[in-house]
Amino acid sequence: MSTRKPYVRPMTGWWLKNPVYIRYILRESTAVFVGIYAVILLIGLIRLSSGEAAWNGWIDAMRSPGAILFHCVALGAAVYHAITWFAVAPKVMPPLYFKGEKVPVEKLVTAQYILAGVIYLVLLGLILWS
Amino acid sequence: MDTIKTDIVIVGGGGAGLRAAIAAAEKDPGQCIALVSKVYPMRSHTVAAEGGAAAVTQPHDNLEYHFNDTVAGGDWLCEQDVVEYFVAHAHEELVQMEHWGCPWNRKEDGHINVRAFGGMKIERTWFAADKTGFHMLHTLFQTSIKYPSIKRFDEYFCADIVVDEGRAQGVVVIEIATGRICFIQAKAIVLATGGAGRVFRENTNGGIVTGDGMALAYRRGVALRDMEFMQYHPTCMPGTGLLFTEACRGEGGYLLNKDGYRFLEDYGLGPPSPEPRNKFMELGPRDRVSQAIWHEKQKGRTIDNPHGQVVHLDMRHLGEKKLRERLPQIYELAEEYMGIDPAHEPIPVLPGVHYTMGGIETDGRTATNLPGLYAVGECASVGIHGANRLGSNSLVELCVFGKVAGEEATQFVKTTSNSPTGTLERQASEIGNRLRGLVDNPSGKERIAVIRSEMAKSMEDGCGIYRTEAGMRATCDKLAELKQRYRSINIEDKSSAWNTEWLLAIELGYLLEVAETIASSALNRKESRGSHQRLEGLEQRDDQNYLKHTLARYAGEGPPKIEYSPVKITKLEPGIRAYGEAGEKAEAERKKKKEAAHGK
Amino acid sequence: MANNEKTIEIEVLRYRPEEDDKPFLQSFKVPFTDDMSVLQGVQYIKDYLDGSVSFRWSCRMAICGSCGMMINGVPKLSCKTFLREYYPGKITLEALKHFPIEKDLVIDLSDFIGKLESIKPYIVPDAPRALEEGEYLQTPRQLDRIAQFSSCINCMLCYAACPQYGLKPEYLGPAAIALLHRYNEDNRDSAKAERMQLLNAHEGVWGCTLVGYCSEVCPKDVDPAAAINRNKVNSTIDYLLRFVAPRGGN
Repeated sequence: MSTRKPYVRPMTGWWLKNPVYIRYILRESTAVFVGIYAVILLIGLIRLSSGEAAWNGWIDAMRSPGAILFHCVALGAAVYHAITWFAVAPKVMPPLYFKGEKVPVEKLVTAQYILAGVIYLVLLGLILWS
Repeated sequence: MDTIKTDIVIVGGGGAGLRAAIAAAEKDPGQCIALVSKVYPMRSHTVAAEGGAAAVTQPHDNLEYHFNDTVAGGDWLCEQDVVEYFVAHAHEELVQMEHWGCPWNRKEDGHINVRAFGGMKIERTWFAADKTGFHMLHTLFQTSIKYPSIKRFDEYFCADIVVDEGRAQGVVVIEIATGRICFIQAKAIVLATGGAGRVFRENTNGGIVTGDGMALAYRRGVALRDMEFMQYHPTCMPGTGLLFTEACRGEGGYLLNKDGYRFLEDYGLGPPSPEPRNKFMELGPRDRVSQAIWHEKQKGRTIDNPHGQVVHLDMRHLGEKKLRERLPQIYELAEEYMGIDPAHEPIPVLPGVHYTMGGIETDGRTATNLPGLYAVGECASVGIHGANRLGSNSLVELCVFGKVAGEEATQFVKTTSNSPTGTLERQASEIGNRLRGLVDNPSGKERIAVIRSEMAKSMEDGCGIYRTEAGMRATCDKLAELKQRYRSINIEDKSSAWNTEWLLAIELGYLLEVAETIASSALNRKESRGSHQRLEGLEQRDDQNYLKHTLARYAGEGPPKIEYSPVKITKLEPGIRAYGEAGEKAEAERKKKKEAAHGK
Repeated sequence: MANNEKTIEIEVLRYRPEEDDKPFLQSFKVPFTDDMSVLQGVQYIKDYLDGSVSFRWSCRMAICGSCGMMINGVPKLSCKTFLREYYPGKITLEALKHFPIEKDLVIDLSDFIGKLESIKPYIVPDAPRALEEGEYLQTPRQLDRIAQFSSCINCMLCYAACPQYGLKPEYLGPAAIALLHRYNEDNRDSAKAERMQLLNAHEGVWGCTLVGYCSEVCPKDVDPAAAINRNKVNSTIDYLLRFVAPRGGN
């Protein structure tokens, strides 16, 4: 008979046992808010297609304190998700070289923020211009 | 007792063992090869080799230069025919490593890059950053997976060799995970178990480097050759003994004493130049550099450190970028273990035991005088290192002679058949009982760690860089005492599964055995040569009496019987071993003499 | 040294398969100096306090990959983690997470070895090359593509960091995928298509949910998360190509 008796430790509650895992679960759960936000937007579209009264009703609902609070939370979640995504994006892409040197990760992350900023400014410009 | 039948059993999964296994598998894919290793192969100590592997590569280099460097570096105690074979096959073996995927550093055009190394006339050291051994080991391990005929026994501990009818017929192993003892019957055995650096206190070696194969072969009557030659590497971390590769100096690092002076100039290695110059100053051979540090200590010109007297390895002038690219691991070691940024501060270093030049006596084809038993790598003395190994010759040795061992063992298997298992199994099971008896020792009271550290301290005191008669005698006496005390060793852990205390006890038995051969061999060599340096009027080399190999033979319980055997000289007659300016002069004279001889 | 010796408490999660049904914590008081590693602390325990405590170690210089353990819940190499970093608090040591415990701090890593063997971790050349033809050419830039991923020491810290491996042990995991990527990216190799099949599988790159902790704990900056996630892109391209050219654009 073998003297081996490997002990397998249970995984229960693993995601609470390390701050890294908690942050990971938080990042993943931002999807819930973004998902709900998408559903709300979809409802808005349906409302728009069913006439002015329905649309105004939806707009009113959006102005309720609850809706505003939700949107703030959802915005926070989306921003948090974006930050984590920017941080890992250099891992997903093949290494970039500039003049024979590998472009450092920090530069790639900064570049994303700059790009995002530019896009927001352009969008803002478009909205204000129209 | 479980018996496993195989054609070849290779003990040791480091560079030499893996290379032998692959060679055997390629030579005859039909045979069964058992690769036994007490750790997973990628943990083997080859992993820690840093600097590189030497082979004649550049157009202005040639085999004779590499031969001369090696033979003179070994203070003429090399088997010159074996060195000739070695230098001639070094390059193709490194190319073979390249074909298997080893990530060698390259020049811009994609060809192999080489770096300078101590005692080498021309730059010829292939390197993979400063993790050459790591990359070679992983390359060999991963490549070995390709061969289905190699059956690995990972984490099996080799505890004895079974000899019957005058030949080696198998090994007794312990499956570490369960404590089960098995017999692996084989027609040929290749020992590739590495060195024995752990017999010393301050050493660069991993915990597994305990001279297993040496002790096993020795107990079975095979001589250990030239064991007095232990290499001190000059640049080790104080306290832990961790290694700062010679490549630190190859890339241009300086050694400074407490006055910031490049003291090697005072020891026949000058004159100094700002840029590294082959065979000058910091690129002198390891024995000479370590000895110089010892002398600096006697003169009070070293620096106080909690772990002893140190000198400085100064690489500040190389700049962070070059250090990070060429010596990343050194950078990491200095930063993380010592809190030192080598780009801005010198690193305190002292000599530590690094390499066992001697080992199991073999012929140039890795065969021992026990039929069926082969030995290769650091555990063996095939004859290329002599009294002092040159840095970057040992990684190549693993490849060149690993291949030879695998092929020779294969050849032997073809002419041999397995003996009936019965008597062998009986012998194996007696060995098994003795091994278990160690755990159940009723008279156990001695702590393993206490004996081990007393041994290591005594070896350092008596068989260090410079040796005295009284010091060596004291060490011999101490070892005899420790061997006596070893009989009443206590193992607290009585279990079977993963009983590492039991294994430590067996390893300690190996260490004591090997330590005794080192001390006795040293005591009997009454001259100074290479890494064996004596005081008291024996400071010179004595070719008249000692241009010969020491053979330490097992003689039962007591110290070994010391015999001598001749050294094979083919091309290079013993001459002055000098470096720096004196070396250039000596070489010019040798050349002149040779030309004159040809002229006649 | 003896005069400024301090003492630190080290708790070890013990498990002795022949005696215990489950692991338990045992505490030791270990005298230490500031340059002592956690490994040296455990060695002290084994040498002088309790010889039955089992753990793997060898090189002491963070290259052999033997001595990984959970140190206060974080997977680390014990040889390059220092006792002083925890003093005066206590240290709790546990075998690497997500692996079965064989005994005390020793894990069963045979699952990983099997995975390593499965990924063809060797060069499969287009056509065999004779030794006389010399080395393959590989520029420093080409070497740079594989250098980082060939630095893995198989220490298993990344697996201990990866909850997905803990939940689904069939997942190929960080180190194996990093090594696979190393061979796929090597200009001397031609077996990418075969290895892609392993990556494309459910147990391949898609077992990863980008927790990213593997790369954080890696002691050799291998960045396995990068290897995995770059191959999610490769795997997607591979998948799409199959519609255009069956057999994966081979």
